[in-house]
Amino acid sequence: MADYRLVIIGGGLSGLAAAIRYARYFPDVLVLEQHIRAGGLNSYYYRQGRLFETGLHAITNFAPPEDKNAPLNRLLRQLKIKREQLALHPQIRSEIRFFDRYTLSFSNDFAELTECIRKEFPQALPGFLRFYQNLPEIDPFTPSPFRSARQFLQSHIDDPVLVDMLLCPLLFYGSSMENDMDLSQFAIMFRAIFLEGLCRPMGTIKDLLDMLLAHYLSLGGAIRYQAKVAKIIHGNQQANGLLLENGETINCDAIISTVGYRETLSLLGHQLPEDEKRIGFVETIFQFPVENAVDFPHDITNIFYNNSSPFKYAAPKNIVDMNSGVLCFPMNFAGNRLAETGNGPQLRITHLANYQLWADMAKDQEAYQREKFRISHQSFIEAEKILGQLPKNPAYEDMFTPVTIARFTSKHAGAVYGSAKKIKDGNIGFKNLYLAGTDQGLLGIVGSMISGVSIINRYILPKL
Amino acid sequence: MTASDIKQVILDIIADIDDEADFSGLDASKPLRDQLDLDSMDFLDIVMELRKRYKLQIPEADYPQLATLNSCVTYLGPKLAAI
Repeated sequence: MADYRLVIIGGGLSGLAAAIRYARYFPDVLVLEQHIRAGGLNSYYYRQGRLFETGLHAITNFAPPEDKNAPLNRLLRQLKIKREQLALHPQIRSEIRFFDRYTLSFSNDFAELTECIRKEFPQALPGFLRFYQNLPEIDPFTPSPFRSARQFLQSHIDDPVLVDMLLCPLLFYGSSMENDMDLSQFAIMFRAIFLEGLCRPMGTIKDLLDMLLAHYLSLGGAIRYQAKVAKIIHGNQQANGLLLENGETINCDAIISTVGYRETLSLLGHQLPEDEKRIGFVETIFQFPVENAVDFPHDITNIFYNNSSPFKYAAPKNIVDMNSGVLCFPMNFAGNRLAETGNGPQLRITHLANYQLWADMAKDQEAYQREKFRISHQSFIEAEKILGQLPKNPAYEDMFTPVTIARFTSKHAGAVYGSAKKIKDGNIGFKNLYLAGTDQGLLGIVGSMISGVSIINRYILPKL
Repeated sequence: MTASDIKQVILDIIADIDDEADFSGLDASKPLRDQLDLDSMDFLDIVMELRKRYKLQIPEADYPQLATLNSCVTYLGPKLAAI
């Protein structure tokens, strides 16, 4: 007799969504989370009595409640969460800046991006419009071999700078491979970011996670924290249960693993495939006192910048690559403004980073801390090049590196977007063990939750 | 259950999935999905709700039998006769 019918490895957003979807019909489900709290890559921690978010810059796929077929609203229906329970604040606008010379501005109104392209790249506009018209012809949900998003863009738009500028936010917000992404994934993300747009839940990621957890528990589901899985017990391509690191065994009828493809093979004790290059990031959070509000822009949500030609989205040779990055102002979402939250301005700066160099550095804690301090200082100077002089007195600053991600999540090499190879259907050749989450290839908060729901719908519910 | 009871059960389930679903002018002989703008994910909810409420096991191969209100009555009638 199994302890649970379904066990989900990982209490991140894909795992929680899968768990809620299943618990709506059968409460006999357990989520195992290795950390002390849920959320995975999109979680939070406390320092100096303040809550800081990890991960979350913005939620993509913003859609008004009346758009019933929008991915966000379909997802909420599947989880039986009322849209009103999720107060979403749309972004104000964001920018893509290349070499201090080209700026594209985009908001949740696609016309703004088109208008900017008309001004900055008039000769490329017809190609861009043709690309936009052909976009619906890509069916992202029909399984197909890898197709290059970059090549598809280049086949319509003959300006290499514009191609790089359009790719830049999409790569930073979800590509697990260097300089490109799969065309299916690109089509999903282009819609999620440029056509639908960015938003933030009211409050912090904790409010969203608390709401999901309360809903899950009210349906009768169970979750355990600090429950790291050591091994999946299996035979004949069938999973029978799990062994936890504390020595406990849990028997179950089915497993969904959200910890990644390679990470799941490792739990199965399988020979691991040769590792491909993985994309890592550093991010520094600078939190300023309330009185510094006047020193920060109020009308911009994110700035994606790049100063190298061509734009390189790759694991850098150095410990970080300051030539490009993302500046995020979490307080600048409409209706979620500084004055109403009582918090001072926050600036988050993200750059590409080299996992191995950080991992080597982390063997000496003192050197690692010094390097974090040095890099966050450099990051700050990069931000000043874009924003002008900033106040030098952040009340708090903290940096995460790929080593931090590897420690608190399961992500191999601290790669937030996982493996370059995606298992789009979640099928890894087992009768009752499936992948969901990052390595299924759907990204972002809405994407990862849809991933969890779709695996339950496809493999678990119809077979019960 | 009578035929009209079964139709009401299906409509109740759909109303629960989408509280703005508009049943006026619904043609019982035409596919529910097209008329009510339901996607395959919503459709699975109908199957799962029938299972939850009436312990009905509907194999995947039979899902097409639930396409219209009339075909629901034909397919579910014998299964729900005792309820």
